[in-house]
Amino acid sequence: MTSTSAARRLGVTPQFQRDRHAKGAGHKGTTSTIITMLLLILMAVYFLTPLWWLLVSTTKSTNQLYNSQMFWFTGKSNLFYNIGWLGSYQGGVFWRWVLNSVLYAGIAAALATMISAMAGYLIAKYAFRGKSALSMTVLGALMVPTAAMTIPVFLVVKDLGLLNTPIAVILPMLFNPFGVYFMMVYIREAMPSELLDAGRIDGANDYGIFFRIGMPLIRPGVVTLFLISFVGAWNNFSLPLVMLTNTNLYPVTLGLQIWSANLQSAGAGQPLYPLIVIGAFISIVPMLVLFPIFRKYIVSGIALGSVKS
Amino acid sequence: MSTSSAVPASLVRRRIARIPLGLLIPFAVVFVLFFLGPFLYALWLSFFVESGDKSVFVGLQNYVVAWQDTEFWTSFLRVAWYGVTAVVVMLVFGLGLSLLLDSPFARTKTLFRLVYFLPYAVPGVIAALMWGFLYSPQLNHLIGALSAFNGGHAVNLLSSGTLLYAIVNMAAWGGTGYTMTIYFASLTSIPVELYEAARLDGASEWQIARMIKIPMIRSTILMTVVLSLIGSLQLFNEPYVLKSITDVPWNYTPNLEIFNMAFTYGNFTYSATLSILLAVTTFILSLLFMLVTSETRTRRSKAPVVEAAAARPTTDHQGARPIQIGVDA
Repeated sequence: MTSTSAARRLGVTPQFQRDRHAKGAGHKGTTSTIITMLLLILMAVYFLTPLWWLLVSTTKSTNQLYNSQMFWFTGKSNLFYNIGWLGSYQGGVFWRWVLNSVLYAGIAAALATMISAMAGYLIAKYAFRGKSALSMTVLGALMVPTAAMTIPVFLVVKDLGLLNTPIAVILPMLFNPFGVYFMMVYIREAMPSELLDAGRIDGANDYGIFFRIGMPLIRPGVVTLFLISFVGAWNNFSLPLVMLTNTNLYPVTLGLQIWSANLQSAGAGQPLYPLIVIGAFISIVPMLVLFPIFRKYIVSGIALGSVKS
Repeated sequence: MSTSSAVPASLVRRRIARIPLGLLIPFAVVFVLFFLGPFLYALWLSFFVESGDKSVFVGLQNYVVAWQDTEFWTSFLRVAWYGVTAVVVMLVFGLGLSLLLDSPFARTKTLFRLVYFLPYAVPGVIAALMWGFLYSPQLNHLIGALSAFNGGHAVNLLSSGTLLYAIVNMAAWGGTGYTMTIYFASLTSIPVELYEAARLDGASEWQIARMIKIPMIRSTILMTVVLSLIGSLQLFNEPYVLKSITDVPWNYTPNLEIFNMAFTYGNFTYSATLSILLAVTTFILSLLFMLVTSETRTRRSKAPVVEAAAARPTTDHQGARPIQIGVDA
């Protein structure tokens, strides 16, 4: 694999090809352009509608949620009232959930990325007995979705006496065969063995070569995997659901779900709706704002070729 | 892409005897603690039943019970049907959008790609809560208007007949942009010269899409379809969230039954049994798929290689969202 094709796999080169492509036939058919754009806009509306509804609803009281035009703002904005209410409800536990989410996702993603890079590097750059068994294990583990393993993992964590600790949520997320697979493929293409050999000649040991020469070379891949892992951990729901009963330890996804469930079953009635709306909005805003910046990395990650040897 | 060519001779010779195992140990530890160990432990537990505070060895009895647990297998078929529906929707719209964006007629492509992919950044649970509100006739007055199409009867989008499709819509909202992204990445890897040649021969854009683009990304499409289907078997989050606003049977999906068996009924050994069955079934289906596609790919080895890996590594998988060979974290 040359570095050009690695670049293509990571979506770097095609841009200029697209432009050529567009110019090549751009003069044809205004009707086609109009129909294409109409369809694209229609679908954009579908994807944006729920998010727009959520944004508009953050400014409403319960009464307004029920009785006003649902896709537009009403006269008096309750936004700041709702934010204040959210911050004080149940002793401000919401912000604690947000902090928990950031910590769980940040720590899990950082460690999982590191573990994956190390194992991926070993598989990609060394020849040793048992190497193919190791790659098969990684691929095999990829084929068993973690969702199916939630209860078995729970049973082990329970017997280790770790239930209701942050560790119970963070540690299981460190097992990430996709990350190892991703790093294996990425390192094979992005880390020239010649540079590693040069380090060897300079007398660096194996670990020195990996951490001082290898890691800087794969920084884009590391960022990509970190972001993908972070989004995954941030979105995680089932793991904290089974591991945690202490509300103070909840991540924001679980906390909001529990609020919503209690709200319905306890007959507490509708007055809490604005809390869930503003909570949901606040929990997705950082991602949505940062997304345009991160998207390039994430897309390159999911588009990285599936390579078989 | 043979491995041997990627490893310089100097490394090979030295390393066979002594590799830096420290690089592998962390992965090995989490593999044993959070994958192999739990699997074997659940397998062990599945040979027992708990009576009182004692565990009694019962051999394969749990598996016999599971085999006759028609509701479990019904829920399996239910999520399979859900998977087929969701996959068809996401395939049609994801492919359609990627072809439109790849056509010379689209403008401001980057903006559209961003918008379509945006739901990826919304956690499945939050999306389910959001759609839950939007399905509520009290909050969403448009649903009241739908009754006109229902002979004046009130419409309940979360009734037992439509619940599955309400979840399919959530899946489509969260996943279409994702499949679109994979297809688009795959389309951009097709050499432009092919289109130019076809245009010289007088082919229309529609013909180019149908005769060149779709066949060229066929194996990517196949991969996303099968992986989405396999991922669908894990459906959990959406029905779990919806059960607080509507009637969702406790064993609506395999994972929901596994969860409730453990946490509502406290039957951990049977829950472990069903987990093993679900994990093994999923594994076998994935394996079959890998074999089938690698055969397809060998046969078509002349075709350009860039396959978008359909790994959706990220979201918590119990989702309605597509494509999950990946893992949480």
